[in-house]
Amino acid sequence: MYFLYRWWDRYWALMAVALLSLSVAWLIRQTGSASLLEIYRLISLPFQPNLTQQQELIDARTWELQQQVMELKTQNQQLRGLVGQTAIAQSQAIGAPVIGHSADHWWQQITLGRGSRSGVKIGAVVVAPGGLVGRVTQVTDHTSRVLLITDPTSRIGVTISRSRAMGILRGETGKQATIEFFEKDPNVRSGDVIVTSTLSSLFPAGLAVGRIQALNLTQTSTPQAIVDLAVPIGNVEWVTIYLDAKTSKSMVSAGT
Amino acid sequence: MLKPLSQWSPLALEALNWAITVSSVVLCTLALPLRLPGMELTEIGPNWLLVWVVAWSVKRSALQGAVAGVALGLIQDGMTELYPTHTIGLALVGIITARLQKQRFVEEDFISVALIVFGMAIIAETVMAIQFSLGSLVAPGTMASRPLSNIWLHHQQTALSSAILSSLWAPVVYYPLKRWWEQLEQTQV
Repeated sequence: MYFLYRWWDRYWALMAVALLSLSVAWLIRQTGSASLLEIYRLISLPFQPNLTQQQELIDARTWELQQQVMELKTQNQQLRGLVGQTAIAQSQAIGAPVIGHSADHWWQQITLGRGSRSGVKIGAVVVAPGGLVGRVTQVTDHTSRVLLITDPTSRIGVTISRSRAMGILRGETGKQATIEFFEKDPNVRSGDVIVTSTLSSLFPAGLAVGRIQALNLTQTSTPQAIVDLAVPIGNVEWVTIYLDAKTSKSMVSAGT
Repeated sequence: MLKPLSQWSPLALEALNWAITVSSVVLCTLALPLRLPGMELTEIGPNWLLVWVVAWSVKRSALQGAVAGVALGLIQDGMTELYPTHTIGLALVGIITARLQKQRFVEEDFISVALIVFGMAIIAETVMAIQFSLGSLVAPGTMASRPLSNIWLHHQQTALSSAILSSLWAPVVYYPLKRWWEQLEQTQV
């Protein structure tokens, strides 16, 4: 008996602590360690994402939604053109897919998947988002061939939209083209926007073509400028054909 | 299953040969406006008709090569513009390919055909460039006229890419046609 009494006298405190800790541990286990999580939250509060970071997230989300709206708008426009709902710019326009590129290395042409069955005629003007692409030179029942404005044989009368200086735009077989101005000292600077001129017999006036990239006014005979074309013609997949903008069949020769 | 070729009647064999030959030309023509990823270099594709003319002329006479060149040149004219014509260049390609002393090269090798296509592509592009230059000298202001500097700059850029691409893709056309024509020869002997 004395032995048990001495053991209790020495270890009762330890026993109590052991029981307490075990019961607390059991309690925690039963409550799913809810209190620990609450404590964790309190401790980690200074390190949690603060208000400015939240604002940043909201801004990013807004931006993302804006981009989605833009994308859907353009898709909607393209699909409308596809279906033939031509409420886009002019009453007589149809959308057409680009189904082929030039069949040799000299002519800058594309082949479209709409032809005379859809009302396309030779001379119809072809545009893409951004501006002018070219004009139809041959049609079959369901395809049409387009001579691009990047082809060196295609010459277009153009106007600088800011200063109304006029010139002739000639393709350079790439993404660029050159303008030869009529005047000796045209009012032009880099960045100016180029549109088709009212004197052009092949294209309706006022279609965007590109913008001036560099000037070469020291050219001996005629001042020249290099133009960045507005439409990345190599990557275009869908174009719009203006059916009513029918034009004459002959090409404009230089100086007219 | 199909009967082995040796059991076909000569007439049917001839008809089959023509069908295969013509359909290969049609396929090559339809591949011209196509630009698949890996099949273009600076927006230029292989000159499939040129590859076909080389494959045809490698084991044939100069006259046969010339006729094939003219025929396929006419087709390519129809696919682009009528003037300047592609017939001259392709006919020249057919003649030169048929005349080449191929014994000097490795016998029956894709490398030698690829080399021939490489050289021929440059020749064909040069013929086109010369025609454009003549056109701009003789009849300035017409459809085919371009500035001389533009023509030869463009020639430099395209001739090399065209030659590289066409020679790399040459086996695609050459190998099946070669196999077919060899089999036909064996059964006819």
